Amino acid sequence: MAETTLVGGKKSEAFVLSPEKLRRQRIAKFIGEGFLLTVASFVAIVVLFIFYFVAVDAIPFFQQRGFEEFFTSTGWYPADDPGEFGALAIIYGSGMVTIGSALIAVPLGISAAICLSDVLPFSIRQYAKPVIEMLAAIPSVAYGFFALVIFAPLLQNHGGPILMWAWWLIAGPFVLLAVVVAGDLLTSRQTDESRRKTMRTMLTGVLGVIAVVFLYWVGKTLNAIQILSGTNALNVSLILSFMALPTIVSVSEDSLQAVGRELREGSYALGATRAETLVRTVLPAASSGILAAVILGIMRAIGETMVVWMASGNSSHIPDPWYNYLDSIRTLTATIAGDMGEADQVTGSARYHVLFAMGLLLLVFSFISNLVSERIVIRQRKILSGE
Amino acid sequence: MNLGTRKILDRSFTVVGITSIMLMATALLVVVVPIFTGGIGAIYFEGTIEHRKLQYNEFGKGDRGAIERQIAETEPYRNEVFRILDAFGDEMETMEPGEKRNYLSKYKKVRKMLSRLLGPLPGDQKPILLRYQYGSTRWEKAEELLHDLMFVTKWDYSNPDEMAKRYFVPRADEFAGTALASLFLYLENNLEKMLLPERTFYWGFLTDRSLDAHIFGGIWAEIQGTFFLAVGAMLFAFPLGVIAAIYFTEYARDNFFTSILRSANSTLAGVPSIVFGLFGLAFFINTIKVSDSKSVLAGSLTLAIMILPTIIRAAEEAILAVPKTYKEASLALGSTKWRTIVTVILPAALPGIITGGIISLGRAAGETAPIIFTAAVSVGATIGLADVFTMPTPALSWNIYNLASEHEAANEIRHVQYGMVLALISIVLLLNLSAILLRARISKKLKG
Repeated sequence: MAETTLVGGKKSEAFVLSPEKLRRQRIAKFIGEGFLLTVASFVAIVVLFIFYFVAVDAIPFFQQRGFEEFFTSTGWYPADDPGEFGALAIIYGSGMVTIGSALIAVPLGISAAICLSDVLPFSIRQYAKPVIEMLAAIPSVAYGFFALVIFAPLLQNHGGPILMWAWWLIAGPFVLLAVVVAGDLLTSRQTDESRRKTMRTMLTGVLGVIAVVFLYWVGKTLNAIQILSGTNALNVSLILSFMALPTIVSVSEDSLQAVGRELREGSYALGATRAETLVRTVLPAASSGILAAVILGIMRAIGETMVVWMASGNSSHIPDPWYNYLDSIRTLTATIAGDMGEADQVTGSARYHVLFAMGLLLLVFSFISNLVSERIVIRQRKILSGE
Repeated sequence: MNLGTRKILDRSFTVVGITSIMLMATALLVVVVPIFTGGIGAIYFEGTIEHRKLQYNEFGKGDRGAIERQIAETEPYRNEVFRILDAFGDEMETMEPGEKRNYLSKYKKVRKMLSRLLGPLPGDQKPILLRYQYGSTRWEKAEELLHDLMFVTKWDYSNPDEMAKRYFVPRADEFAGTALASLFLYLENNLEKMLLPERTFYWGFLTDRSLDAHIFGGIWAEIQGTFFLAVGAMLFAFPLGVIAAIYFTEYARDNFFTSILRSANSTLAGVPSIVFGLFGLAFFINTIKVSDSKSVLAGSLTLAIMILPTIIRAAEEAILAVPKTYKEASLALGSTKWRTIVTVILPAALPGIITGGIISLGRAAGETAPIIFTAAVSVGATIGLADVFTMPTPALSWNIYNLASEHEAANEIRHVQYGMVLALISIVLLLNLSAILLRARISKKLKG
């Protein structure tokens, strides 16, 4: 390489690289990249370590007690001697609040995501997003405190009326809408326009009366319910659903955005309304991404500790009847958090290791659902990009 | 389908979407507003003379002369109460043994409640626990206590189909015809003069240590503990996260190994927080023994690995958002790749990276499950900076749980719990708000 001569006869070495220097630079680059790679692999190492160390403490439990009791018995008396370690009721409790929160969060989250991506104008969207972020930012213990101190007494003292109002407000509009649609669909065979109109009015009227009676009857039944304890599966499901919502909304919104304009415009051009476009065209195209969102949201609900620990009642039994959401339950996460304090002093006992077995169960579940959702997202991206 | 029906369906679809957004905003309000109003009550309330006495004796705050003057003001009214008690005590001495026994337990109950209201009564032993050395420090608590003192709560079980109904019987009826009967009316009329409630701003709630397990005093130990844990976690996670993000965006080739690293990242992001707690216990404390038992260090490390994926993702996004032209211009000027990253890309991406950092800081501050087994204690004093390697600390998140669910007097210190939740939420939301504002500024700047 040529040397440059500067003013005053000085020679600059700026662009000159002697073989020595070149070699040094290459070594530095090698070391530097190696360092970066090491740090980047740190995450993978941590994941391996988490699996290893949780498993190492979980395996002694299965060696001591086997698998059968843990997965099939509902007797949970870890403090007795000899203890009983049947986690079926606890696993069931975890599943119950997860399904409960999914039932609330999934429809709500998907419709909110649709609204954010397709319905609201950009100016309003800007204000809606921070609301969702705030909802995600509130610490779980604050939600737990709300559930325990504010919501549980409310549910216990005014449970019936609350359920009734929720039923009227949520089911009311949908049932009436269903009446209108049903009236329309049932008379669509009739070709004579004026007769069809009268038939439709009559049919809608009759169905409407039936629907109102139905709504009233269910509302009255709900109003009569007395909730014995406010710390129950319903309380927890509701709070958990609001914690899972931000994840569901933001991931499904991304997925809806990924469906391009062309599909939407094609559908509009064929004369579809916005609702029809979204339901028939956009949602099917985005369905896998939405599925991934639902999986991620469910994971958030199943792994949540503080809310269920504080507000689920922590009683280890399968509710009677099995779908009774007004009963207290106990979940895996709450059991780990609650029992470790006492089990910690007896490190090495089955009582200590069983908690790690539960942790391993949670870990495996979250790992599998994460993997599945990741595959789904990648596949969707490939399909949409036309590969 | 009829066109009209289709239109109705379309409209209702829009309505459903907007309703769900409104529902989320309402949920946010429903959670935040009661916590906010309740939390304010921990700082701004009607404090009684007992509150001012406590503040002066325990923290040396307040004007001694004014407090003594006020105490002197309350003396005559309090002395009248003590006189009635003495009179009843004398009267009991003259009673039949059976009658006396009948009154004694009820009388003891009255004395106990009175001492909760006014502080130790003359003739009582000096209590050991601080909570019994002072009367009611908050006026609204005093009013509740007064109600309990005036009325006996009874439950009506007459209808077996319904839950028992509550009703109240005046306590004066129990003592009808004795000297004590006049006490209740006197208390009701003169309690204010005995306690002298004043509207008080108690900023010390945020900066005082707690007294007698949070019955009195403030929450400084918890705030400091939260600060140590969150900042400690950031110290580990932030540099690691940014370096990993640089690798992923600038150096990683699109191969199997990289995809495994990325999978590991999202797996780590999905691990339930309680499992981090288990891992922290099994690895940091039981295996490599960073400390003998729980410590701030172990907690910070556990929190650090929890927030690492978030930081990596945010930093990656920030780096990718830097326009390609910046990088190309720098490379064209002859600088090396590393130099380009350090002097051009990182400064441009810094606000975005910091935004991610702030959000992660908030998450580390609010998280409870990972620190239960690794760092948090229920009762503890503030710790010095040098103790972080060996000592556990109280922290807002853990103590909210502990005070709300496990404290022996959870119902009586609701205001402290609300205050703590408000403090925690304020910290987290302020951090998030600043992140949102910062991001808005960046996007404005990038638009030009």
